[in-house]
Amino acid sequence: MTKLVEKRTVDMQIIGDWVEPGTRVLDLGCGRGALLDYLLQTKDVSAVGVDLSFRRITACVARGLSAYQGDMTSFMREFPDRHFDRVICSRTVQELDDPTGVILEALRVGRTVTVGFVNHGFWKNRLDALLRGRKVRNEVYTTEWFESRPANPLTIADFENFCAVKGIRIARRVHLAGNWRSPRSILPNLLAGYALYDLAR
Amino acid sequence: MTDDVETQPAPGVAPRHLAPGEVGLVAPHDFVCAEPFIFKSGQTLPGFTLRYETYGALNAARDNAILICHALSGDHHCAGWHSADDKKPGWWNNLIGPGKAVDTGRFFVICANVLGGCQGSTGPSSVNPETGRPYGVAFPFVTILDMVRAQKLLLDHLGVASLHAVIGGSMGGMTALQFSITYPAFTRRVLAMATTSREGAQAIAFNEVGRQAIMQDPDWNRGDYAKGGGPRVGLAIARMMAHITYVSDASMDRKFGRRKKDSAAGDAYNFDVQFEVESYLRHQGQAFINRFDANSYLYITRALDHFDLAQAHGSLEAAFAPVQAETLAVGFTSDWLFPPEQNRTIAHALLRAGKRASYAELSTDLGHDSFLLESEELYALVRSFLERQEPPVFDFSI
Repeated sequence: MTKLVEKRTVDMQIIGDWVEPGTRVLDLGCGRGALLDYLLQTKDVSAVGVDLSFRRITACVARGLSAYQGDMTSFMREFPDRHFDRVICSRTVQELDDPTGVILEALRVGRTVTVGFVNHGFWKNRLDALLRGRKVRNEVYTTEWFESRPANPLTIADFENFCAVKGIRIARRVHLAGNWRSPRSILPNLLAGYALYDLAR
Repeated sequence: MTDDVETQPAPGVAPRHLAPGEVGLVAPHDFVCAEPFIFKSGQTLPGFTLRYETYGALNAARDNAILICHALSGDHHCAGWHSADDKKPGWWNNLIGPGKAVDTGRFFVICANVLGGCQGSTGPSSVNPETGRPYGVAFPFVTILDMVRAQKLLLDHLGVASLHAVIGGSMGGMTALQFSITYPAFTRRVLAMATTSREGAQAIAFNEVGRQAIMQDPDWNRGDYAKGGGPRVGLAIARMMAHITYVSDASMDRKFGRRKKDSAAGDAYNFDVQFEVESYLRHQGQAFINRFDANSYLYITRALDHFDLAQAHGSLEAAFAPVQAETLAVGFTSDWLFPPEQNRTIAHALLRAGKRASYAELSTDLGHDSFLLESEELYALVRSFLERQEPPVFDFSI
């Protein structure tokens, strides 16, 4: 297994641990449906994913998943408060046009909102910027800036600040080291490579 | 649905109907139901006939059947050729066949002309046994639900235990949705394209213009006319107008632009045909009157107008409450008859009702008839939904 596939699996396992069996889950930016497929098989959830790409929706449909092609905020507006037990925003938050709007809407339709993102405050990423003076490129960010979708290089400190400013309660947080495997709770903004949060109103 | 669906036979190769990957020569059959049929309106028929075609074979478990539902002006002939010199195959031949997206090597595919139609199924042009003359407007008012109930009787007759899927575009999509509501345990998958859960004001308005064109034609004669006669002018105009709603500004402009019939001529100050698009529409109108009955057009457009699942059940969620099927709704960006939003609404309501539902949207500029598009992306989606086969991908970037 490549290092990247391994990292992807770690992310899935932690979210999988947090998801209660048999609950209703919404995955924002579901991609090809790998996470939802995993949750469906391990937790018997009732799941739906949202993504913008026809091909990714096709891949989800091929896995037997419910998937919706379209804008995630408009989609969420179609549902009553707390319709979903959990809304997952895994490695999507950095690409959102309106992160505040999406997360607040997710907190309305979901009892819990799970956010996972790569920490750009991680020392290696800082060093990369400092020494190379270039956009971060590693096994996760494989492409040049001109071949990448626009993304906010947010950090753990940025995200915690966002929650404080918006009055969002952090119910649970996990910070993982550069290998995205071992927990790293000391100086996470500098020492953690990946962050996962459970948010609540 | 327009009459434009055709495949281009490559010169110098074997006839298309003999090619591998095609269902080949097919023949229609008639299902005759001798039991009285009570319509939603309360009106009755002593019995009815549905003309249908099937491709592929029913398996031992009798559960590999796929029902194809046609649109307003479609029919039971959705794949294959009726004879070796047929110019065109069935209307969805690009989708249906051995190894195609709807794989007849795997599935038993059935398509029937709707009740109220005019391609062999009982409709207003059928002879009323009580009078010995065509029913005309004495035919019972038909609804999408009536069409579905009649087709279920056909499926029972064919020994189908349950449907692997029911598939349709436009009116066929409504029929498919209605199937999963009326026969929830019988229907495992619904694939509804370019459709709606509720005929909106604009669509009703277009239908009404078509009906007025027919009914204002003196030859309509309150629906009383001999077979092959009737309001030919009115029906042709109805078709010309409807045809415009099936395509798009962009696709018409690409196909015709402002090209003239006689390219050398300048502007002629008369009302004869000058632009190619005029000539094309007139041809469409003429082609239609030779294959369609004006009274059927009135009845089926009325059935479309009456289709409103939310109103029929109190709310769309209530309508979908009994559904057991997985549903896939597909919208097309340039469809202005049943725009993407109306297809999204179907998925929203099903998901709110706690059902399994997906929505996919294809970018195309071909308008409402995009569901008939020759598109590898659409085929991949249909195949994924029916067979759950994901093409392998080695892209792990985020």
